[in-house]
Amino acid sequence: MTFADYLNLLISALLLAGTYAAMAVGMTVIYGVMKIVNLAHAGFLMLGAYFVYELHERAGIHPLAGVLLAFPAFYFVGMLVHWVLGRGIPVSDEPTLASLLLMFGLWLVLQNLGYLVWGTSDRSILTPMTFATLRFGEITIPKIGLVVFASALVSLLALEFLLHKTWFGRSVRAMIQNRYACRIVGVPVERTARMTFGVGIAFAGAAGGLLGLLFPFSPDFGRPFLLRSFVIIVLGGIESFSGVFIGALILSLAETFSILIIPASYQPAISFGMLVLALIVLPGGVAGLLARKRRLR
Amino acid sequence: MARVVRVLPPFLLLALLALLPLFHLAANRVKVLFLTFLLITASVAWNILGGFTGQVSFGFAVFYGLGAYTTALGINAGLSPYLTYPLAAAVAVVASLLVGLPTFRLRGPYFAIATIGVGEAVRVIMTNLAFTGGASGYRIVEHVPFRQAEHYYTGLVLATLAVGVSMLVRHSRFGLGLRAIRDDQEAAADSGVNPYALKLAAHALAAALTGASGGVYARYAAFISPDGVFAFQRSVAILLMPIIGGVNTIWGPVLGGGVYGVIEEELAARFPEFHLLLYGLLVILIILFEPGGLMGLLGRARRLFQRGRDA
Amino acid sequence: MAVILTVRDLTKYFFGLAALDSVSFDIREGEIVGLIGPNGAGKTTLFSIIAGSQAPTSGAISFEGSDITGVKSFRAVHSGIARTHQITRPFRSMTVSENVEVGLCFGRGRRTRNVEKEVMEILELVGLHGHASMPAVTLSVGHLKRLELARTLAARPRLLLCDEVCAGLTESEMQSILDLLRRIQSLGTTIIYVEHNLRAILSTCHHVIVLNFGRKLAEGPPEQMRNDPAVIEAYIGKKAEG
Repeated sequence: MTFADYLNLLISALLLAGTYAAMAVGMTVIYGVMKIVNLAHAGFLMLGAYFVYELHERAGIHPLAGVLLAFPAFYFVGMLVHWVLGRGIPVSDEPTLASLLLMFGLWLVLQNLGYLVWGTSDRSILTPMTFATLRFGEITIPKIGLVVFASALVSLLALEFLLHKTWFGRSVRAMIQNRYACRIVGVPVERTARMTFGVGIAFAGAAGGLLGLLFPFSPDFGRPFLLRSFVIIVLGGIESFSGVFIGALILSLAETFSILIIPASYQPAISFGMLVLALIVLPGGVAGLLARKRRLR
Repeated sequence: MARVVRVLPPFLLLALLALLPLFHLAANRVKVLFLTFLLITASVAWNILGGFTGQVSFGFAVFYGLGAYTTALGINAGLSPYLTYPLAAAVAVVASLLVGLPTFRLRGPYFAIATIGVGEAVRVIMTNLAFTGGASGYRIVEHVPFRQAEHYYTGLVLATLAVGVSMLVRHSRFGLGLRAIRDDQEAAADSGVNPYALKLAAHALAAALTGASGGVYARYAAFISPDGVFAFQRSVAILLMPIIGGVNTIWGPVLGGGVYGVIEEELAARFPEFHLLLYGLLVILIILFEPGGLMGLLGRARRLFQRGRDA
Repeated sequence: MAVILTVRDLTKYFFGLAALDSVSFDIREGEIVGLIGPNGAGKTTLFSIIAGSQAPTSGAISFEGSDITGVKSFRAVHSGIARTHQITRPFRSMTVSENVEVGLCFGRGRRTRNVEKEVMEILELVGLHGHASMPAVTLSVGHLKRLELARTLAARPRLLLCDEVCAGLTESEMQSILDLLRRIQSLGTTIIYVEHNLRAILSTCHHVIVLNFGRKLAEGPPEQMRNDPAVIEAYIGKKAEG
């Protein structure tokens, strides 16, 4: 392999990392604030892809505009889901099996609604961009990859803004750290939780739309990405959002460069293997490990 | 007298099921019952770990699949099928230790997630393994005629065995330890219970039964593939049954398995999506309103009925 | 009297904060030893580490001659150390007697033949025999504390660690619990007893260890500790000058 080949792989990994980060963020936010492992995240990723697809097919709306529209649409859906299922989604200190199973049930419902409506065959969102590439000498960058990466980056920056410059963001960060203190100080815990759920689902839907631009999808779409989101959360840790970037980067690098060592068909096992390893070895994620080192003398 | 009345129904049911094939039931119905017996076995098995001990695993397809392949390979190598079933169980037990040793250090939901990862990893590996046929599957060649009654009774015996094991565990010292772990693992350890050892043991027991059911299925189906026996959907089915029937009870998983088997037969062929959609909704309703599942609902109905009678 | 437990330089750091700092002491067999100190002094952490629920950052613990540093809690129980919890942790799905049965079946020593009989004996000792078949969750706080004691006793400990058994109890409830502790001690069990109530300490303990900010401040007979100026300062503050 030439140097250019390695560079191409690296660029692919970086672009993918951005998308993975956007994908994982939705789940991270919900987990961090509400300690809920949102298995239905997979379902919303899938719905996001179909949402953008349908808007494109039926109304001719440009996919990127569709992704933008996905944010408010899925925010609303997220709030609705939280309102309906509220009983089973208590804001808790620790992840519970009950909330896990509840989200699992929701995922089953979403996935099979998907099968009912769209059948089992794969769809793709095809645009003039999809196959175009940019060339710089021997470096090839798929245009769609770049566009998706840029969109992911923009949305993550928007999230950073939301978290650090608004009252909502401050409440979210406070709740991630200490829920009890929030109640004492007057942070509106239930309302913040509901809005956080909405934001989490909004990101799931939008990220699903972005992923739908890169890969073909069916109602089972979310599952491999669900596992990847877990890996990212576990690798990156809950404590910070830079953790999500770290986790996304580690995963995408591992996946991209693993094809040099193992056959491509084994590649999905990479994320699963990393997940199990990460859960066992790094309870706080890489970011947590770093934070702990900083705090110890 | 009351005790006899309570204990009687299961035996009656067993007798009925044992005598059923003699009534010239349609072959299709016998097949449904047979498959339901296997479902019940896996359901009861899962419940030993998931219900009694409170460790929810999304990865039981691993044991089912490994059991299936063990039997398949064994029969093709010339072994008697009835020898391959304990072998299938043994392979599943070994796998359960490999899975459990690293993952049981994790608490509740994290353990569940890890099992999703393990399940999928095994499926991917098996899909790529050449000597078992890889993605195209593996065929069993048997030179004996197919006798449906034989399969039916094997399934019935296995399911009965599973329920029996479940009862034994429940009423034993081991079962008490499992309940303690489910209620409060740390307090259990503080009372002298060794959580790791007990969880591994429960896992092994559950895996053995599930592996055996996979083996019995493989012989019946004569053709298995990774996308069938190792599928995430199979792990999902195995855990849906006890949750809907009533987790942490003896008969809940049996009820859940029975209901699932019958509904799957009626719906799955024609409307597979409805089948799982229904189950997704049931899970949501169960978590929200009646964590005891169908058994819980029955209990409530019975109490209501008794109150009506006493009034 | 022989030394049954030796703790040397026990230290525990949580994220750079020392919850315990080089704590050392001996416990003599058959005594009731009080462990006192202001809130946050590290008493429960010390218990957790001795009982095996947590591992120390450094230091050594030896029990009846064997090193048990870092040993897991269930193994500590099998060796003969058992603890109660400050906030009771009953097994919620079980009845009172089932709770005790867990301690009996998984604790130290040979397996009993007649589990029911022994469970009832223990329940009688703590005064809960009337509640044997009641679900544990229906018990009052005072009874839950007795249940916790019963379950811990069922594991036949040689060393019993009691964490604030009196918290939340009325005066008479407290007295009967203290009587119970004395009776347990007279049956041969050594007890280390964390308590805030100084009267309880004075009336029950042979020896007192005082902790403050993770360090051992003082130790000695109860009366002596009561009058020790350093101990008083730790609890109340320096006496005003003049």
